[in-house]
Amino acid sequence: MINIQHIYKRYRSVHALEDFSLEIPQGAIFGLIGPNGAGKTTLLRILGTLIPPTTGQVWFGNEEVTQSPTMIQRKVGYMPDFFGVYPDLTSEEYLEFYAGIHGISRRRRPNVVSDLLELVDLTSKRDALVETLSRGMQQRLCLARALIHDPDVLLLDEPASGLDPRARVEFRELLRTLQSMGKTIVISSHILLELAEMCSDIAIIRAGQLVMAGNVEQVTQSLGGGNQIEVRVLERVTDAKKLLKEMSEISNVLNENGDSELIQAEFSGDNQALHRILAELIGHDIPVISFAPRRAVERLEEVYMSITEGASAI
Amino acid sequence: MTFIALLTKELRLRLRRERFVWLIIIYLLVMGLLGFGFLLRANAFSGGYQGYLLSQIGAQLYALLSFIQLFLIVFIAPAFTATAINGEKERQTFDLLLCSKLSAYSLLAGKLIAGLANVLLLIAASIPLFSLVFFFGGVSPLQVLGTLVIFIMTAIVAGTFSLFCSTLVHRTTASTAMAYTFCAFWLFAYPVVSILTLGSSLSSKSRWYIWIQWLNAWNPISALNSAVSSGQGGVGNFYLFRLHLAPWVAFTLVSLVVTIILFLFSIVFVKPDPVGRFLPWFRYLGKKSEQS
Repeated sequence: MINIQHIYKRYRSVHALEDFSLEIPQGAIFGLIGPNGAGKTTLLRILGTLIPPTTGQVWFGNEEVTQSPTMIQRKVGYMPDFFGVYPDLTSEEYLEFYAGIHGISRRRRPNVVSDLLELVDLTSKRDALVETLSRGMQQRLCLARALIHDPDVLLLDEPASGLDPRARVEFRELLRTLQSMGKTIVISSHILLELAEMCSDIAIIRAGQLVMAGNVEQVTQSLGGGNQIEVRVLERVTDAKKLLKEMSEISNVLNENGDSELIQAEFSGDNQALHRILAELIGHDIPVISFAPRRAVERLEEVYMSITEGASAI
Repeated sequence: MTFIALLTKELRLRLRRERFVWLIIIYLLVMGLLGFGFLLRANAFSGGYQGYLLSQIGAQLYALLSFIQLFLIVFIAPAFTATAINGEKERQTFDLLLCSKLSAYSLLAGKLIAGLANVLLLIAASIPLFSLVFFFGGVSPLQVLGTLVIFIMTAIVAGTFSLFCSTLVHRTTASTAMAYTFCAFWLFAYPVVSILTLGSSLSSKSRWYIWIQWLNAWNPISALNSAVSSGQGGVGNFYLFRLHLAPWVAFTLVSLVVTIILFLFSIVFVKPDPVGRFLPWFRYLGKKSEQS
């Protein structure tokens, strides 16, 4: 478990992190959400021992980051948001170099490199120069680099930025594979739906401070992002709204005064509750043409927009 | 082991670039053409080599090639190391090096040796040109050894200072400009000061005189002049703590000391937040002085 205790990070007059505390469970895929300049990259760089906190402590199990950075470096694989590559090296040479500077013996390097190229599906590009690889392939190669010393914790700063949809899906699958291997993954991203689908836990950061952290569903619901349904009717909009308001599963009809045929309502309950709402509408001859439940995680983007509104970039 | 991995990578990257091959070609062409020009001129003046002492031609050709080589080394060595560290930062690969087991010492040593290896390769490539001199004679093995040591030490000092610049400033253009400014000062400070003080009669005990002597001891042109002319080039000997040293030996010793100092400073500055890392020490010393 990673335990961040009251850390502050200041760059001269800029306060990048302020009294920031967080616990990251072992084996989790932990998402960091926040606008640009919120302090996500600073936090990841502190976790990666690249910069020390101004004050406060970060514990990886029993080891503190500033006290034993070398030990932490062995446990952590870091992938920055912007990373360079050595264009004149082949994929294999690139990984061999990083294996070398991570202290992996010359005898073990070929096997480690082969395994990692296979894991990130780049075996066919073993002898290709890094500059000839696509952005998605370079991203996967960089992930392989972060895994070269078999770290327990992976720190990924905006890993999906600049990737096309297909590469994003492949990258997401790769992260799930890594989680199944027991890695703890801390990931920052602006693609919130992707984070919601991928992460077990999230933390929302604004202006260097933690807004909320915890399980994805819990965080979204507690920030006013409960489950919603969207019902589109052909006619009898007023009757449909009145009926919905009377149901015990519906806590609020959001566009109560509008004339739109699309009705949005907040509800609580499971699939059985959804079935009862639909049956009730049909039973009262309301001409329903679409009925779409929206789970809390799918609404993460709206929640994020509302809480980061007016947040000043650092 | 981490050092070897870095060195291998650096050499791979540098030697694969087409421009390195062009550098060797141009380097040898410059030296070869100037040497050839000198031989043509010597031939024209003497009406053939019969009337001219071959050994004198050999010694003069050797001196000419050595000075060309010295200037080329000073010009080329910074190009290999002045962007070694901040170049990694610009390429956004520096953080990835910091996350590894690579120590500051290994990182700098790897970068410096890789840069110097390129310069040594150029020096080695010029050996066939220098060997032409031996057809004429007039150059002793000790002179060859002396000049070779001066070339290597010049490359090491220029390379180490350039490496230090690359740890100090973030922009590669700024570090390159700094490195070349230093090299120009290093080469020409003593000759300029000598010319300016030519008519004055400085006492051998004056502070200025001692500074000028140190400039002389650490000047590659003076050292090379003494080496190629067997100590008869008007440079004289250097006295260091009552030791009577040939100028090229004094140059080598001073260069070694400067290199070590620059390398230690580079180790301090290469990692992020160099001042912050020493704060606990300052606080500790502050507490100690308060207690006492």
